[in-house]
Amino acid sequence: MQNPIPLMEAGITKTRSVCGYCGVGCAVDVMTRDNRIVGIQPAMDGPANEGALCVKGQFAYDFVHHPDRLTRPLVRRDDGKLHPTTWDEALQIAADGFLRAAAEHGEASVYGIASGRTPSEADYLMQKWVRAGFGTHNIDNCSRA
Amino acid sequence: MSNPLKDMEKPDVIFCIGTNMTECHPVAATRLKKAVANGATLIVADPRRIRLAEMAHLYLPLRVGSDTALLLAMAHVIARDGLIDQEFVAARTEGIDRLLEHIRDFTPEWAETITGVPAADIETAARLYGRADRGAIYYTLGVTEHICGVDNVQSLCNLVLMTGNIGREGTGINPMRGQNNVQGAGDSGAIPNNYVGFQSVSDPANQAKFTALYGREMSLEKGPTKVTALDRCGEQIRAMLIDGENTLVSDPDRIHGEHALRSLDHLVVMDIFLSETAELAHVVLPAAGWAEVDGHYTNTERRIQRVRKAVEPPGEAMPDWWIITQLAQKMGIPGFDYESPKAVFNELCSASPIYAGIDWDLAESGQYQWPIPYKGHPGTPRLHEDGFINGRGKFMLIGYRDPAEVVSADFPVWLTTGRRLESYHTNTQTGRAEGIDYLLPRETLEVHPADVDAWGLANGGLARLSSRRGSVEVVVEATERSPRGTVFCSFAFNDVPVNILTGSGYDPITQTAELKVCPVRVEALIEEEIGLVA
Repeated sequence: MQNPIPLMEAGITKTRSVCGYCGVGCAVDVMTRDNRIVGIQPAMDGPANEGALCVKGQFAYDFVHHPDRLTRPLVRRDDGKLHPTTWDEALQIAADGFLRAAAEHGEASVYGIASGRTPSEADYLMQKWVRAGFGTHNIDNCSRA
Repeated sequence: MSNPLKDMEKPDVIFCIGTNMTECHPVAATRLKKAVANGATLIVADPRRIRLAEMAHLYLPLRVGSDTALLLAMAHVIARDGLIDQEFVAARTEGIDRLLEHIRDFTPEWAETITGVPAADIETAARLYGRADRGAIYYTLGVTEHICGVDNVQSLCNLVLMTGNIGREGTGINPMRGQNNVQGAGDSGAIPNNYVGFQSVSDPANQAKFTALYGREMSLEKGPTKVTALDRCGEQIRAMLIDGENTLVSDPDRIHGEHALRSLDHLVVMDIFLSETAELAHVVLPAAGWAEVDGHYTNTERRIQRVRKAVEPPGEAMPDWWIITQLAQKMGIPGFDYESPKAVFNELCSASPIYAGIDWDLAESGQYQWPIPYKGHPGTPRLHEDGFINGRGKFMLIGYRDPAEVVSADFPVWLTTGRRLESYHTNTQTGRAEGIDYLLPRETLEVHPADVDAWGLANGGLARLSSRRGSVEVVVEATERSPRGTVFCSFAFNDVPVNILTGSGYDPITQTAELKVCPVRVEALIEEEIGLVA
């Protein structure tokens, strides 16, 4: 008799990753088809979880494909509202604002808050942006709240 | 954590304090359950009768904010009853004599008057932990989110050092980190006092090292914490870049926080949703999220693990590392010409003494726990096996302090806040998952059934919860999880913005907010009033 499991998994790609919720660091296989997540499996060989996973890690992945996701840069125009724009313009307005603050109020007037949710690569670059950009240590992350 | 997660199955006595592990770190809690099933003794200190308390052999229902008193009295009993590990104390610690003098008056009877825990139970807890071959301590934000958070942790360290429960399998002092990569954020230098790898910014040698690496003069003065920076918004602080944090909902004293962010000349937010914080920004940059980027998280046991891209981010959303790189280049900051997260991670490792032994390719296996001081080093699953990094373990002399605000005639009830199993933090993600919405559709205020009656509330009815800073409305849930006189609410739901109430005080060293203690008034809302509000 044919094993039904390969049929269920037809066309599904598994990508080994780590759950994005709490700090336990459960290894998971993200199951995808046609650029969409269709399931999460706990990794039996995950060093932190050894095959276990909680209700959030197992099921709370709908947010990834949620229609509320931000898909374009937004800038606040003269009408006081946020409007979609290009990456180039959004980054330029962002950059100009920081340079203006530093020029008018000193380099210590710029502050960065890094995330406890992003990969370390983003945290490292956030702190480097503050330190290499302004020479200060005006950087923190969400660990105090 | 001083010890690896797998050690959680090995203690013979487990002391959990201020950790709602079955809800906040469920998979780690399964290991404790295994240990208990295998015969370990579980002691739980928590104001709420949480699931862990139900499992405990000894439950210490202490008043919110009284942890220091409990721990002082446990130290007193360990000393009084001759349970000090003299060999360990002589070989690896200093200051025991001063500590013994200091704790002489902190009897269990004294602690009972502060904590509400019977003196006999405090004695039992101290004897169980003090006699353990392998005693392990686990704690979370219930210990740290106080004005005396550092005092609490140092009081726990005193117990560890007195009994030698460190540096061996199944022992240790083990904080459970709340976010997937909050450990990695600190490791990576996203803190105002340390460069990457906890290298102090006040050390001139580190200043020279990073001045060379980053191509500009580095300050020797540590930066303000986020709490201080928010206080200074619109004055010294004029522009802010926030990556993936819903500061407005997660932080204490929300009205103050909103005013702070609104007073900035320039606020740029990177996020995956238009969070309440992003709505205040001048520029919002759409980020790729979980399952959409390659990189690394460091977990609560210091394990560095690869995360991988499984799907494309939506629309024009881009990885955070790319966004910061582009922003830096637009500003003319040198050193941001990275082409991949691999290049970023390799620079991070080479600049960090605790990651020096790995790089992107070596980290692939997920086998490394820092410190990994050089290539070929196997990593360090268990800290302090052969000694403490700074020499001898120092006993600290800690006194008890009341919370920043205590209950009074106007605010007679203790509110404590936290998380729930099914929701995560401010619910930007779990609030957008259908199954979770089914399991946990709304926030409730947990009130002891006798208090529901005594205060004229109704189970399922609406109540107004007020502190010195504001008020929120919330549905009442009668439950014996809450002790008499203490109520609980999570901060996951934006329609019950409980952090309008919090923010009574901050730890003077870490500036961590006292989110676990807030005196409040609870009043029933009658239907006519609800009509007016609506």
